Amino acid sequence: MTTQRHDFDPTPFLVEELPWAPRFSLRVRPENRAALAGALGLELPTAVGQRSTAGGVEVLCLGPDEWTILAPDAAPLAAGSGAAYAQIPHSLVEISDREITLRLSGAQALTALTTGCPRDIDAMPVGQGARTLFDSATVILWRDDRQDFRMDVWRSFLPHVRALLDQVMVELKSGL
Amino acid sequence: MSRYRIPGMGRVDPAAPVSFTFDGRSYQGLRGDTVASALLANGVHLMGRSFKYHRPRGVVTAGSEEPNALIGTSRGPGRFEPNTRATVQELRAGLTTESQNKWPSLKFDIGAVNDRAYMLFSAGFYYKTFMWPRSFWDKVYEPFIRAAAGLGKSPAEVDPDSYAHRNLHTDVLVVGGGAAGISAALTAAKSGARVVLVDENPEMGGSLLSDPSVRIDGRGSWAWLAEQLSQLRAAGVRLMTRTTAIGYYHQNFVGLVERVTDHLDQPPHGAPRERMWHVRAEQVVLAQGALEKPLVFDGNDRPGVMLAGAAQTYLNRYGVKVGDNAAVVTSHDSAWYAAFDLVDAGARVAAIADTRDSVRPDLVEAARKRGILVLTGHTATATEGRLRVKSVRVNPVRNGQVGAGRKIPCDALLICGGWTPSLHLFSHTKGSLTWDADSRTFLPDHKTEACQIAGAGRGLWGYGFVLEDGVKAGIAAAQALGRSADASDARVEGDRPGTGISQKELPTDRSPGKAKAFVDYQNDVTAKDIRLAVREGMRSIEHVKRYTTNGMATDQGKMSNINGLMIAADALGKEPPQVGLTTFRPPYTPTSFGAFAGYHKGATFEITRKTPIDPWAEAQGAVFEPVSLWRRAWYFPKAGEDMHAAVARECRATRASVGMFDASTLGKIEVAGPDAVEFMNRMYTNPWTKLQPGRCRYGLLLGEDGFIRDDGVIGRMSPDLFHVTTTTGGAARVLNMMEDYLQTEWPDLDVWLTSTTEQWATVAVNGPNARKVLEKLVEGLDLSDTNFPHMSVAECTVAGLPARLFRISFTGELGFEVNVPARHGLQLWKAIHEAGQQYDICPYGTETMHVLRAEKGYIIVGQDTDGTVTPQDAGLDWAIGKAKKDFVGKRSLSRPDIVAPNRKQLVGLLTEDGRKLEEGAQIVLDPSQSLPMTMAGHVTSSYDSVALGRPIAMAVVTGGLSRMGETVHIPMPDGTIRATITSTNFYDPAGERLKA
Repeated sequence: MTTQRHDFDPTPFLVEELPWAPRFSLRVRPENRAALAGALGLELPTAVGQRSTAGGVEVLCLGPDEWTILAPDAAPLAAGSGAAYAQIPHSLVEISDREITLRLSGAQALTALTTGCPRDIDAMPVGQGARTLFDSATVILWRDDRQDFRMDVWRSFLPHVRALLDQVMVELKSGL
Repeated sequence: MSRYRIPGMGRVDPAAPVSFTFDGRSYQGLRGDTVASALLANGVHLMGRSFKYHRPRGVVTAGSEEPNALIGTSRGPGRFEPNTRATVQELRAGLTTESQNKWPSLKFDIGAVNDRAYMLFSAGFYYKTFMWPRSFWDKVYEPFIRAAAGLGKSPAEVDPDSYAHRNLHTDVLVVGGGAAGISAALTAAKSGARVVLVDENPEMGGSLLSDPSVRIDGRGSWAWLAEQLSQLRAAGVRLMTRTTAIGYYHQNFVGLVERVTDHLDQPPHGAPRERMWHVRAEQVVLAQGALEKPLVFDGNDRPGVMLAGAAQTYLNRYGVKVGDNAAVVTSHDSAWYAAFDLVDAGARVAAIADTRDSVRPDLVEAARKRGILVLTGHTATATEGRLRVKSVRVNPVRNGQVGAGRKIPCDALLICGGWTPSLHLFSHTKGSLTWDADSRTFLPDHKTEACQIAGAGRGLWGYGFVLEDGVKAGIAAAQALGRSADASDARVEGDRPGTGISQKELPTDRSPGKAKAFVDYQNDVTAKDIRLAVREGMRSIEHVKRYTTNGMATDQGKMSNINGLMIAADALGKEPPQVGLTTFRPPYTPTSFGAFAGYHKGATFEITRKTPIDPWAEAQGAVFEPVSLWRRAWYFPKAGEDMHAAVARECRATRASVGMFDASTLGKIEVAGPDAVEFMNRMYTNPWTKLQPGRCRYGLLLGEDGFIRDDGVIGRMSPDLFHVTTTTGGAARVLNMMEDYLQTEWPDLDVWLTSTTEQWATVAVNGPNARKVLEKLVEGLDLSDTNFPHMSVAECTVAGLPARLFRISFTGELGFEVNVPARHGLQLWKAIHEAGQQYDICPYGTETMHVLRAEKGYIIVGQDTDGTVTPQDAGLDWAIGKAKKDFVGKRSLSRPDIVAPNRKQLVGLLTEDGRKLEEGAQIVLDPSQSLPMTMAGHVTSSYDSVALGRPIAMAVVTGGLSRMGETVHIPMPDGTIRATITSTNFYDPAGERLKA
């Protein structure tokens, strides 16, 4: 029977705040999805959780009629949306400032996420994403690799999420 | 080596002594001991005083079901915990422990006088004693009951420990790491499923830890156990010890509490004390085993009287013999094996008295071979010994007649009244139970969740059966997951099968009315209490439970429920299932508040949302107030100013020149799509069709009941795009309500909603000089009143930032609200502050905002409304689109009670003597009426108004709108205040200042 454990881990995971980037919420009826994707030059995945990456533009399907888009150059997207609107009604709203993105990586990044997220993150395939919760904050979680995640957190909820992750960091460093 | 420790036995480490104290005295135990086993090794049985009668009590069990050995433990400053079970707390260096419910000492306790006066404390004592006189309740009875209630001292200091939280998903969760649980987990894991195995003990093994003589697959049970555990690890099973499944909730959601550091001498920095796990499992296997029951007879609670299975555990797991000369009273075969183990370890067992007339011949033979006196067909009728049992009196029972007693000297009395399957978690799921007439116990029956039950938890006994059952449960779980699992069987030698019978209180040749035959040790409930409850009219077991408090202590009747039921059923002349079993509720064992709170303490107790401008306010020394989850600047005091002075200055400055206000917390929703205007028409009371792009309008949102839910200014950015604002607290609620209507009522509308609350930071600039300040910063827009009149909106550039600029006012002054992307919020704020210096621009907080709007009679939803106020009540009829065919709440507005003239309506109040009213104060029409007075309404808002040079108030008053100029009365503790009903539009009623 052991009484002490000495598996102190100096860096169980890393948290970085990613720089500001243009971000949009796109809504369109499922039957108009393909047409709008064509008009905007985007790939809009059909299954919730699926992602696409083309020409530096990342898209995550959050619902049957909802996508989050990360577009380094926002102007063509906005122009395309304006041009297509009359034929294909949709809503494209800029939310670049609504969320701030954290990147969590490292051996215990997944464990750190399970402290606040009730979802089965372990079962989330690499390259997918989902809208979920971290503690009581609504977040969007992107799994970029087995131990590499991005988490979009509403701006005013970020300090709370960071403070929780700081506590989790101390806890995981203890090795218990 | 301690006096009662047997070298070479147990799983404790003889090379690792651990010192601790109990009631100030120092003792030594071994690494691996619990406080209970260490005290027993030192010959200490007396560990506490009972709750009601203060009777001396010793340890009864070796597990989490312990009712007696509840102690105070301290792990250092601020780390005191009452009611720690000595049988669960592992020994750690420097642990300080103390007994409870005693004064002045454990061995001599004044409160034990209750024991002599026991006739006074019978069942229903509280109900009978504390009835009259009524006036005694507050001063005498309630303080007495409160002082007597509860056991142990509450901790008085802030808990310095941290607590953690995890979510875990798994295919199979196995609860209970005994023989059944281990074989179920291994079987399921071999099918490829993700498996978690939890056990509340420090190590896996369950009863195998107490049965080392059993051989499985040709190995000793402990060697077999080690081999199984390494196979489980190799198969990727997550093994969690010191982890209690506290509750089993819907859809296979199980709560676990892991005790992380309480057993460590020096916990590493940052390690949490406990961790709550929320587990979602596809399949749950309940393998929690069974709990041993005591026998109920006079004196069955003396220190030294304990369950036979517990004695066997202390011997085999901890190498501690509970006495030199034991006696056994039992109604189940299992206690015989405990006696054999004791004798084989060198202790003496004087006698085994079994209540059954005939017992398996091999057991009788084995006992005789060990020199144990065998007394079948016997009852126990008394024990002797004050602080430790000295003897037991047993009598033969023939044809229902209790014969002459004989006294058997002993220093430990092992009792066993059979075993109760642990049904707690299964009962949490509302799974139904069935009464097994043969074993006279309840067993799990119909399941409501995706679970399997294996082993002693469903009434099986003997390792061979239990191991086989565990495999079956593992296969069933795997198959339910669509996997295939292979059967395996284990060969058990020296198995310890057994049967027994359940008993009511044991028969006696003495007066049953004087017997202190305990059913519930923790709440001091005796057999005669239960019979008395039945005599006094209790018929249901639920009533018997509440009347006697049987099973209502923190052990939740783990040991007492079935015995209590047997006695109640006998008293009622019914079969036990007709009397019923009380419901088990979570948590399974007492659980710390810390485990539930997790990370939610201190700075992370609750989310505090802050705006991008918050750091500036903080640096300026603003005082903050919470508004829903936000913290908002309340006022900005200058040196020497109190709140009153600061708010007066802010109000004065804004009305005289210009003020600025952080309005970023306002909810914002982008309503976009070809049907946006139709959607707005249906949601809000106001008409939107004719609102031109570039204009905005005050919007009023009702519930289906016609009552005001929210309000805010809404700008039409383009024909198909509205910028909706909501109240700070209503943002999420309004979006949910809109989405609800959109998705369930009007899925045909082509319109989409996006929350933009946090996309924008918002600064309100108000006052006669507001335009002059903004003109310095705005590009691409002519701010003149002609080009940009009141209630306009435009996109432009402000301070070099892309902005949505509204000309609106919540103060009655010329006003603007500038929205910029949130990351620029602070930059915008500073730019406006800088540009406004020329006009002595004054940053103001929420209090000034409240005063200024009240001077204009603008309502605050949730302050001047309470969910029962209609637009008419609030004087907002003008905001209703009368020509509109429909909107949410329209039909309710014509209901008879909604149009009734005597509804409470929002009015202004001016006191005659110039005193400020108290918000929430009640209003009466006739101050000389008799008590209780008829209340005509209440004050909703009240402020000192600098602009008016007097206090003003808003109030809801019955029929208030038709009482203009009338006097009402506000009775206060120091006298009644007279006030006149007025309009709520106190300041600039013509609205000239808005149009400046």
